[in-house]
Amino acid sequence: MIRFVFADLRRLWAASLVIVLLVALATALGVAVTLQERALRLGSARAADKFDLIVGAPGSETQLVLSSVFLQPAALPLMSGDVLTKLIADPRVDWAAPIGFGDNFKGYPIVGTTTDLISGTTTGFSEGQMFAREGEAVVGSGVDLPVGAEVKPMHGTAGEGGETHADSIYHVVGKLQPTGTAWDRAVLVPIQAVWHIHGLGEDHDHEEAGHDEHAARHDEDADHDHEAEAHHEGEADEEHHHHGHIDADAPLDEDFDHEVPGLPAVLVKPKTIADAYALRQAYRTGEGTRAVFPAEVLTGLYATLGDARAVLMYVAYGAQTLVAAALMLIAVIHVAQRRKQIGALRAFGAPRLAVFGIVWLELLLLVAIGVGAGFGLGYGAAEFLAGLFTAQSGVRMPVEFTTADAALAATLLVVAALMAALPAALAYRQSPVEALRG
Amino acid sequence: MLPLALSGVSISFPGLAQPVLSIDDLSVPAGGRLAVTGASGSGKSTFVNLVSGLERPDRGAIRWNGADITTLSESRRDRWRAENVGLVMQDFHLFPGLAAIDNVLLPARLARAATAEVKSRAHELLSRVGLARPEQSVETMSRGEMQRVAVARALLRRPGVLIADEPTASLDAEAGAEVGQLLLELANQEGATLIVVSHDERLTERLDRRIRLADGHIVADTAMRASS
Repeated sequence: MIRFVFADLRRLWAASLVIVLLVALATALGVAVTLQERALRLGSARAADKFDLIVGAPGSETQLVLSSVFLQPAALPLMSGDVLTKLIADPRVDWAAPIGFGDNFKGYPIVGTTTDLISGTTTGFSEGQMFAREGEAVVGSGVDLPVGAEVKPMHGTAGEGGETHADSIYHVVGKLQPTGTAWDRAVLVPIQAVWHIHGLGEDHDHEEAGHDEHAARHDEDADHDHEAEAHHEGEADEEHHHHGHIDADAPLDEDFDHEVPGLPAVLVKPKTIADAYALRQAYRTGEGTRAVFPAEVLTGLYATLGDARAVLMYVAYGAQTLVAAALMLIAVIHVAQRRKQIGALRAFGAPRLAVFGIVWLELLLLVAIGVGAGFGLGYGAAEFLAGLFTAQSGVRMPVEFTTADAALAATLLVVAALMAALPAALAYRQSPVEALRG
Repeated sequence: MLPLALSGVSISFPGLAQPVLSIDDLSVPAGGRLAVTGASGSGKSTFVNLVSGLERPDRGAIRWNGADITTLSESRRDRWRAENVGLVMQDFHLFPGLAAIDNVLLPARLARAATAEVKSRAHELLSRVGLARPEQSVETMSRGEMQRVAVARALLRRPGVLIADEPTASLDAEAGAEVGQLLLELANQEGATLIVVSHDERLTERLDRRIRLADGHIVADTAMRASS
């Protein structure tokens, strides 16, 4: 019977190919939507995994998470730098680190932060080492720069154009191992460099901030500050922003107990889960701050994503139903056209069940090949889209099948098996006499 | 080798007042060779359908070797036909895309009866009908060759009766004569009862007995002089 089925399909290869394609495309649509949504969810959840608690200025929680976890460019409101000082001193906090944005290099965001954050969120270096001076930078695995490369920061976010910060150059001293997060595409520099480049955290800013209680400490640093200023006399007037530049050889200063400039976000690693909730409570209601669990914000986003997926799945179901209906039509017409052959089979001694089996098997085989191809096609499409997304955002998107997909494939095949039984039954009931008379 | 006996057989089609076929009594001995002639619409094809079990009469009994096939269910008649009847039709009913050997074996395979013995017999039959290339695809064959494949297929399961419905009508004179000769020879060698429905005088006159149908009745019944 199999031999006959194959001979038959080979003879009708063009029509068979069209049927397989139709089934494959309808299947691929649903598979791609499912895989893509799952990849987006898994990928973003994994990317946010190391980001326990984010503290920022009041504003959109979603934007705070998108900007800090996914490094999506946006102008975040700043909160007082005191928050960082307080968080670092908090006994419930394991470590807390500032996240400062604003510049980019060749489309890679430059993020000012601390060694705590880098060692706390990554698995280590694949090459080189941690920055130790103000003019040094560490790059994520997805940044196409070798150790030793020079980074000339551009003000503003990628694609906005913007001006370069003249004279300010970072030297890449280390490359991190891949983490599958947006930070793989980031150039990480000491936060003090970001402040200095934008003219923050130096003498003239302190006057505005006016934290008198830190005056004593400030004086100790005076030497350094004046030195730094001396370097960029004469370019002060041509600036659009508060503009300074980095002192490349200045030692790393991660002492944030005084005069910290305004910050868009602080990543907090609480000691325990209970601490995490207590901290969120404290800073959610605190003055001028907002504290969010990225995982919680993402869960909210997933609900929206799930709705979008549901809509797309209905579209896919619709397409599958249309293909199924078209297939039924083709099958019934086909059986009618081959009345004579089917009748002859029985006249020459083929049992009725064999006739049923041939028609049923041919259809099921085509659908099965189509479903298989559709899964491959859908997987390929999801991989391709995930690749585009990863290239753009750095977030690795795991496109993977689960047992639920096997259930989907099984469901499609069971439905196909049931539907193929109709034309097969028509063939089964075909009277050989009538068929031969024609 | 099966003897055939029809008694009181009658069949009507809806909308027609007269029965399409009505035969009170007809017997063919085992190994007998019967020719059935008649004009178009005289009931010849209905006769073939009835005696091969493709159709059931309204009344009467059709006994092959004493067993009445009209009492069998459709599926049982299918099986009985597969085991006892070799059919050769005017239109060959071969399946394109399959080789000659696969066409010969197809019904047996579908009935799960294609044993090694049956397969070697299929090859033997193809060579006996004069086809040297069992793997040749049937689309590439002449009509005469196609009908030979059909004859080999009909004889595969050693049927007790060989029924041919206008076996030469769609062939040219030469090929028709060859196929007619083959049918007679092979039925004789295989010891099968032979029933041939045909207009072809050259074929029918070589059988033992000829009946002529008109309007569903036997109007002539002639014993022929054996010539082969």
